[in-house]
Amino acid sequence: MNIQFTSKQLALRDELRAYFAQLMTPALVAECERDMGEGGGPLWRDALRQMGDDGWIGVGWPEAWGGRGMTPLEQFIFVEEIMRVGYPFPFLTTESVGPMLAEHGNDWVKRELVPKILKGELLIAIGYSEPDAGTDLASLKTSAVRDGDDWVINGQKMWTSLAHFCDYTWLAVRTDPGASKKHKGISMFLVPNSDPGWSCTPVHTLGGVRTNATFYDNIRVSNDHLVGELHGGWKLITGQLNRERLSLINFGPISQLFNQVVRWATAAQVPAGGRVIDRPWVQQNLGRCRALIECMKLIVYKQSWAMTEEVLAMADASAAKVYGSEGFIEVYRMLGEIVGQAGLLRPGCPQATAEASKIERLYRTASIITFGGGANEIQRDIISAAGLWMPRASR
Amino acid sequence: MEFGFSQEQQEVQQLARKILSDQVTPVALSEFDEYRLPRFDSALWQQLATAGLSGACVQQRYGGMGFGFMELALFIEEVGRSIAPVPAISHCVSALLPVQRFGSEEMKEAILPGAVAGEILLTAALSEPLNEDPVDPRVMTALVDGDSLVLSGTKTAVPFAAQAHYIMLAARSAEGVAVVLLDPQAPGVTLNPQRVSSFEPQCELVLDSVRVPLSHAITLTEGVGVMQWVGERTAAAICAHQLGASDCAMRMAASYTSQRQQFDVPVATFQAVGHRMADCYVDVECLRLATYQAVSLLASEVAATTEVQIAKIWAGDTGHRVSYATQHVHGGTGIDRDYPLWRYCLWLRHNEMTMGCSAEQQSALGARLAMGEALFN
Repeated sequence: MNIQFTSKQLALRDELRAYFAQLMTPALVAECERDMGEGGGPLWRDALRQMGDDGWIGVGWPEAWGGRGMTPLEQFIFVEEIMRVGYPFPFLTTESVGPMLAEHGNDWVKRELVPKILKGELLIAIGYSEPDAGTDLASLKTSAVRDGDDWVINGQKMWTSLAHFCDYTWLAVRTDPGASKKHKGISMFLVPNSDPGWSCTPVHTLGGVRTNATFYDNIRVSNDHLVGELHGGWKLITGQLNRERLSLINFGPISQLFNQVVRWATAAQVPAGGRVIDRPWVQQNLGRCRALIECMKLIVYKQSWAMTEEVLAMADASAAKVYGSEGFIEVYRMLGEIVGQAGLLRPGCPQATAEASKIERLYRTASIITFGGGANEIQRDIISAAGLWMPRASR
Repeated sequence: MEFGFSQEQQEVQQLARKILSDQVTPVALSEFDEYRLPRFDSALWQQLATAGLSGACVQQRYGGMGFGFMELALFIEEVGRSIAPVPAISHCVSALLPVQRFGSEEMKEAILPGAVAGEILLTAALSEPLNEDPVDPRVMTALVDGDSLVLSGTKTAVPFAAQAHYIMLAARSAEGVAVVLLDPQAPGVTLNPQRVSSFEPQCELVLDSVRVPLSHAITLTEGVGVMQWVGERTAAAICAHQLGASDCAMRMAASYTSQRQQFDVPVATFQAVGHRMADCYVDVECLRLATYQAVSLLASEVAATTEVQIAKIWAGDTGHRVSYATQHVHGGTGIDRDYPLWRYCLWLRHNEMTMGCSAEQQSALGARLAMGEALFN
């Protein structure tokens, strides 16, 4: 038991910190802020290609797939550093779908698409949810029907985030409507977003972040676009979601925000005399936040360690997701109380300070994390079943 | 970074678990309910000493196993899991450790071998009336007079004071803070028994011009540093005890709700019940990680004030929430004294309120943040 990084891991952190400091030009920082942490702008794309050229994409992929072969712990350090500088790294493509393609894709996928992902030239959106298939994802209706050597795809997806600037959609479709169990009739396809049958309308969210509804109208693709086994998509979906869940909780940015608010409250003088941080309730809030974020850190460290040692327990992965997502919301609220009404000033408002307007936006965007990537109710079901051996209700 | 346990740590864990699960049964514990007997199983204590566990972290030349604080904390976690009626924290952590770390060679030779063998019982008096900060004694005062230190004042909630051969305590003098080993048989010492929730034997300790030989002083002036060192280790040990106790209570509730049927199904299958238990799981995991972090830093003598405060916040919060959640999902069974859960709830409360509750720790951590300490790296 020793919860400290090795000197080699600290050296990697310093190397990354120096690299990202030079990558994040003021113009790129401004573009990323404008794009609400989603990326997709021209400078963002240039920086991604640069990282691809410098070998910083696919750091955790095995070297045989063209990656760096880092352990999950080192990958975690990478993620923490890139989040710290505020670059919206396309994790879903590089860390979540990408490795699935490298592992399960056919020759065409491995030859044509995987190298482009590693070069930072290809981005993939995820098409799972539908208007009537959310948490009960296996009831999805979008279909792929065999026609000669091709497949013809029809249907609608919801919450297809980033799709408006991605090159492909990683699409879950029904290929066997007569399967005995509904999750056994699903397959995974890569659909080009450039196809004339592909369209997309924006969905604007509380946090200001854009997501999309996407439509698939008689899109014809070759059999090369099928990933993994026919009707074997469910395994790829759950595998991908497990990978996604692991990159959802990150403690770097929130620890930085915490430090920023402490420094602000230490410097800010109140007109009646004294500093903001001298108020007893402010110290109490800060103490609570400090303890809460510390455990976020410990949970993600342990998770990365457990993945490196290949001993990650399912209940612990779900516990990390529940604790992290609900912890973020709690911390945003308590730090927001400290900055007061200034925490209602929208970014760009002339009176807004950097930390207060960050909290203003985070408070609005945070609600997605308790249901995104697998609703917390489902995670709690997993915890009580896998962690405490409690029987589960039938659904 | 390593979250696993070494071979030696696993051996300590297994040895402690074996002895304690064999010896500490609900029937054995019931002997001590309502103070029918002082809650101190001397035969079990002797067995733990013989197995080397109470001296886990004492150097081999004094008869100990020569392990570190991590191994000792793992033993204490098992004591918490079984809520064994033994003075593990007060003896092994609060008193024995500072004697080994700060005592003179003469004191160590006189005390440690007997303390490891189970022949000498030590304890520490860390609280005063309205002053629970062990680092800052106010009520107990000390005055040097010839070759003695003369002590007067009051300490409260001293665990196992009536059973102990020596009580370690701190007193304020004109020159600073003194820390001594007090013989409770000395003239002028009064022990007033206190009855507490957990049935732990405790006393209020009143000293009226008690003379302690200077050779029994650990320090005459530098007690702040000594008590800071002791206080952090005691708090971390309480967190380890709380971890064992809350983990056990949680698993008891998970197993009970998996068997108990209502509406023809196990109550565990109701999502409301499963989710309340899942919340316990998350709380216990946070306590586990925060405790292991604090203990492992203390074991390497790294500054860990922040990490200990955070662990103690979790010990309070997790203990409180697990106690009420596990009682609740048990229905009436949880509070029935014929079922083992109720004693766990007493100990979860005991640990929550000992060495600083969550609100106090949060406020102390907040005050340190206001002084520019404890920020993230």
